[in-house]
Amino acid sequence: MKTKHSFQSKVGQLVRDNSVPIMFILICAVCIPLSGFSPSYLLNEIVTRMGRNTFLILCLIIPIIAGLGLNFAMTLGAMAGEIALILVSDWQIWGIPGVVLAMIISIPISILLGLLCGKILNRAKGREMITSYFISFFMNGVYQLVVLYMMGPIIPIVHDSIKLPRGYGIRNTVSLLNMRQAVDNLLAINIGGVKIPVLTFLFIAALCLFLIWFRRTKLGQDMRAVGQNMDVARDAGINVDRTRIVSVLISTVVAGFGMILYLQNMGNISTYSSHSQIGMFSIAALLVGGASVEKASIGNAFLGVTLFHLMFIVAPSAGAQVTGDSMTGEYFRVFVSYGVIAIALVMYEAKKRRAKSNASRLLAEAQKQGKEERA
Amino acid sequence: MKSKRILLYRLAMILVLVVVAAVMLVIGRGHTVYFDNVSLEYEGTTYETPYKVVVYTGGEEVAKLYDGERGMATCIGQNLDLTLEITQEKGGEEELVSVSVPLPYNMDGIIINLSAYLEGLPEEAYLTEFVPAVVPSTEEDEEVVTGDDMMMGDF
Repeated sequence: MKTKHSFQSKVGQLVRDNSVPIMFILICAVCIPLSGFSPSYLLNEIVTRMGRNTFLILCLIIPIIAGLGLNFAMTLGAMAGEIALILVSDWQIWGIPGVVLAMIISIPISILLGLLCGKILNRAKGREMITSYFISFFMNGVYQLVVLYMMGPIIPIVHDSIKLPRGYGIRNTVSLLNMRQAVDNLLAINIGGVKIPVLTFLFIAALCLFLIWFRRTKLGQDMRAVGQNMDVARDAGINVDRTRIVSVLISTVVAGFGMILYLQNMGNISTYSSHSQIGMFSIAALLVGGASVEKASIGNAFLGVTLFHLMFIVAPSAGAQVTGDSMTGEYFRVFVSYGVIAIALVMYEAKKRRAKSNASRLLAEAQKQGKEERA
Repeated sequence: MKSKRILLYRLAMILVLVVVAAVMLVIGRGHTVYFDNVSLEYEGTTYETPYKVVVYTGGEEVAKLYDGERGMATCIGQNLDLTLEITQEKGGEEELVSVSVPLPYNMDGIIINLSAYLEGLPEEAYLTEFVPAVVPSTEEDEEVVTGDDMMMGDF
């Protein structure tokens, strides 16, 4: 009887812990047959999208380890990647060299933005997520100032295909045709009609190995300590502020690389919207994979990107089948994306409050007990 | 001592990145190359075109040019390796010629006159920059869309 009860409670706990992925699996299980897509089509799409987005999603893990929560400011790295790609595109550097050069150019920009973001977040301890969210809005304004008014008159842009007809500023869309899928197609293999971008997956594997290795380093351990309790970490001699800045910095640089991989796959840059979209999508995908504000793993990133994209692919078709309007599916996935972020934040806050009230209750009980003993 | 070593490592890393970036700038420069199979007059001599020239780059046929025709290929790097299948006269024998044409870094579009190149004329004779014709702009200024599209669209 006891065994049965403990089994039930274990299952219950498992369901509670993985409620978001389970919900997504159910949504996908309902939508896939309705969408009418073949398994090979779905597999092909998932593999392509996994190669496109996983790098970006993985960049969110390190700030979570360091206790900074969901790094909404990853868009800063994405902006750095976009600026680098615009420059490389104007310099007419094509193919893999173009991708590599863009990555190198993005590094100093990402470091600068990451440093700024890390310093601000250190002044807003305990409110990192909302602060990073607003940093991304603020930096979006700076990005627009640079791209819309400084590119042309101050930062030389030669090609008319990139510049706005008025002679300065960058067009809404910049074509990356000459480096489109350069990384994906190199070493790509085809198995049963499914194209596997091997080099892209090697990049992702390298990042996963880096994350595993990094967690075991002194700095990685420091980040975990800081993430668990900043005061204890400080007392243990860890430079908390520096550790937090480094975590944001790594995340921003990786986000820049991820954005370049993402955009080379897409083949064009939506100059003024790609970065803001990517932040929300990446965070939503990580949460869909079962991550929380305090805990995230590589597995969460992979599961999240698979489930999120599965929903992305099938929702419009399923919506069209059910309601006759594919926009229903579009609205549904937007609603789910924002919804999952909101749920994660509410759950985090509720958990924090519960832990705080538990601690207060325990303290009150201990004080009461002490008084009784003294009496 | 330790901080000095760290500084040295960082400087070495920056140097490596700068060198790699410089290499990428050179090897990744893209050009659009146009091949002209047209006769050319240079220093009082007229150079006639062959009947047909088939242009191959990287083992792929990119153009089949008869007299007066123009072909196009894209190329990454500072040298364009070409294999030309030349037929001097209609029904004549085909001759295979492999050439490597150095491309100037500062030109996006390059026109190569094949007959001039095959005659061994200097670069100024066989190579010119392709300048797109300037058409009076009728294009209205593009409206820049910077607003949030609420995550609609693909990911």
